[in-house]
Amino acid sequence: MVLSEEEASRILAELLWTEKYRPKTLDEVVNQEEVVIRLKQFIKEKNTPHLLFAGPPGTGKTTVAHAFAHDLYGGDYRLYLLELNASDERGIDVIRTKVKEFARTKTPGNVPFKLILLDESDNMTADAQQALRRLMEMYVVATRFILIANYPSKIIEPIQSRCAIFRFVPLSREDVVGRLSWICEREGVKCNRDALNTIYDLSEGDMRKAINILQTAAALGEVSVSNVYKVVGLAHPKEIREMIKTALNGDFIKARSTLRSLMVTYGLSGIDIIKQIHREITSSDIDLPEEVKVELADYVGEIQFRLVEGADEEIQLDALLARLAVLGKKVVGVAPKRVSK
Amino acid sequence: MSVSKVPWVIKYRPKKLSEFVNQGEAVEKIKTWIKGWLAGKPEKKAALFYGPPGSGKTSIVEALCREYGFQLVEMNASDYRREQDIERVAKLASVQRGLFAGRRIILLDEIDGLALAGGADAGAIEAILELIETTKNPVIMTANNPWDLAFRPLRDHSVMIEFKRLSKGDVLEVLRRICVAEKLSCDEKALDFIAEKSEGDLRSAINDLEAVAEGGGKITEEIAKQLLRARDRVLDPFEVVRKIFWSKYVWQAKLNATQTDLDPDTLMEWINENLPRQITDPEDLWRAYEALARADVYRGRIVRSGSWDLLAYAIELMTAGVALSPKNDPKAKFRWVKYQFPDRIRLMSQTKEVRALRDSIAGIIGEHIHASRAKVLKDVLPYIKIIFENNVEEAAKIAISLNLTDPMIKYLSQNKGDEIIARVRELRKAIRAEAKRAGSKREDAQKNNKKSEEVKKQQTKSGLDSFVKKTKL
Repeated sequence: MVLSEEEASRILAELLWTEKYRPKTLDEVVNQEEVVIRLKQFIKEKNTPHLLFAGPPGTGKTTVAHAFAHDLYGGDYRLYLLELNASDERGIDVIRTKVKEFARTKTPGNVPFKLILLDESDNMTADAQQALRRLMEMYVVATRFILIANYPSKIIEPIQSRCAIFRFVPLSREDVVGRLSWICEREGVKCNRDALNTIYDLSEGDMRKAINILQTAAALGEVSVSNVYKVVGLAHPKEIREMIKTALNGDFIKARSTLRSLMVTYGLSGIDIIKQIHREITSSDIDLPEEVKVELADYVGEIQFRLVEGADEEIQLDALLARLAVLGKKVVGVAPKRVSK
Repeated sequence: MSVSKVPWVIKYRPKKLSEFVNQGEAVEKIKTWIKGWLAGKPEKKAALFYGPPGSGKTSIVEALCREYGFQLVEMNASDYRREQDIERVAKLASVQRGLFAGRRIILLDEIDGLALAGGADAGAIEAILELIETTKNPVIMTANNPWDLAFRPLRDHSVMIEFKRLSKGDVLEVLRRICVAEKLSCDEKALDFIAEKSEGDLRSAINDLEAVAEGGGKITEEIAKQLLRARDRVLDPFEVVRKIFWSKYVWQAKLNATQTDLDPDTLMEWINENLPRQITDPEDLWRAYEALARADVYRGRIVRSGSWDLLAYAIELMTAGVALSPKNDPKAKFRWVKYQFPDRIRLMSQTKEVRALRDSIAGIIGEHIHASRAKVLKDVLPYIKIIFENNVEEAAKIAISLNLTDPMIKYLSQNKGDEIIARVRELRKAIRAEAKRAGSKREDAQKNNKKSEEVKKQQTKSGLDSFVKKTKL
């Protein structure tokens, strides 16, 4: 087998489209104009306050943070950017150590500070955020923080007040579809408009999700409406709906073992699962009386709260499955029949 | 029984140093040390009280304070990890006199915890050392076992004071005194049994006596044996779970939970696993799970705040809370059903390698696309798996660009793993061959470059020469 130089380098280069087509500079960012204009001002002044990027997933927060760093420092910006993810670091102590070490490294010649990017910072407990606030103050001479969060309200007030807050809005249909068809062109992939529109509908303005669906559908042969549905169907574990039905039918032990395989084998977090349960029970596919759905929504919310407070996510979800079994029995005679597959 | 009852261990704590049973040597040493402090010249600034549980270490500190008019500033094991608590205590310690109060004694109780938590907490030990250095007040630490390697710096800076294990006779003496004070009718054999069982731990002996007395009436050896046998033998997990479910009273459920070597987390696994086997009425089962879930919330708070005090509530909910939930079918919990080893523990150990593999793939991708492992697992991996199951060529290329190992590829594709791996080999080989060709081309190019540079140099040299010549002219 013989490869041309171009073919070889293409394999070694970026192959995940979300990364391959990530805008590298602020000029390449097609939406979020408000944000970009303000950030460019900071670059011009070579000064910035701490920043808080808030908005739903896949709206470009991380991308804009990198592009900002790129435009500020140039091509080797990674030397001056410390990237941390609050969900991956083991506690605030680890973050503190990394920040301390990073603050000691030298600053670039033309900009008097370095950047610390802290992704998923709304996953930090209030206590950890207090410690973070102290860090932000302690190293403010040589560093600036960019905090990224889905929910700005989960960031404590004192941090919010120290940051310039940037709100990222969900991407519009034109933005997403336009970007997707641009990618298709570049990749030489056949795709039709309907399929791209379907991707937008299914991804709810989340660009990362949209591009993931696009690449996967393309890998199935072509980006068609049916392939898009196929991809999304395969990506979402059907087990969650099965589990709900099993519990409603009163087979708690079986439902629990499905839950276990979702958590242990698939590695889904309790929060991921409960959000999907919520979606399922409020959808029209599960045939429960409307007032029961409301009652259930209340309890699901309580369980989600306890997931955060507790130590063992399965126990909390077990309680929810047990409650489903009670409700299934209450709608006696009806439940087993009505929720049958 | 009055509600505001003071536990006997507190009620009958010795008030004066002279009241301590059989710790004369320790008491003398303590007096010498504290007199050194009062004279302004302590031998060492800290003292480490060590000895078996229930030998009077903490009680003696309280008596000492009372007798010499010290104010007690206490810090518990759970506080050591919190910087601000250490700072708060350090601040108090560094001031010689309170504004209105007299001098202080700083007590760091049960420092064993620092070594137990999987390798000593070096930061906390350092903080304590600093506290000892700056303190202007006596510092007392207590420990069951001070000989842990990690405690060496603390030992070096402390007067070591040993507390002896109390003899059975010592314990008996105290128990008799309490019986008289409480106007209990106690069988001597019952007291003998309690004292024997305590193995010199006076605190546990007093607690046992109180537990037995709770029932009222004469305390006989038989009753004592019946109620207290519990702690003597360790039951296997199946038996423990059964006894917890069968409990009728809160104290019974709690007591049954102490009859095992399992730590609370593992005990919870056992309870969780077998709960739906024992309790089948849906409402009863849900109530039981509510109790278990509440217990888990306390566990979460313990983990996050380090307040081990909360453990008691967690244990009450997971034992008594569960045992008392059946209302619709209260007899169900006495049925004999076959229990099982916790399935989740089995599943976790079975899938250990696969999970590690999964997480390392998520780590690689996460770093690559700037997302957390959790996000990759949820939002990205499902799509990559679809590609790997359906498109060998694309999968192979992705595998190469992410540098995935063979087991990783097999994880991502149950059906086409081998095909993809073979294709990866082929492509890698081709890439290497291409690189070699490109490399030799580049070398040629470099050689050519060198040649042309030399030519250029000569040219410039001759140019210079001619220039020099020209100027010379």
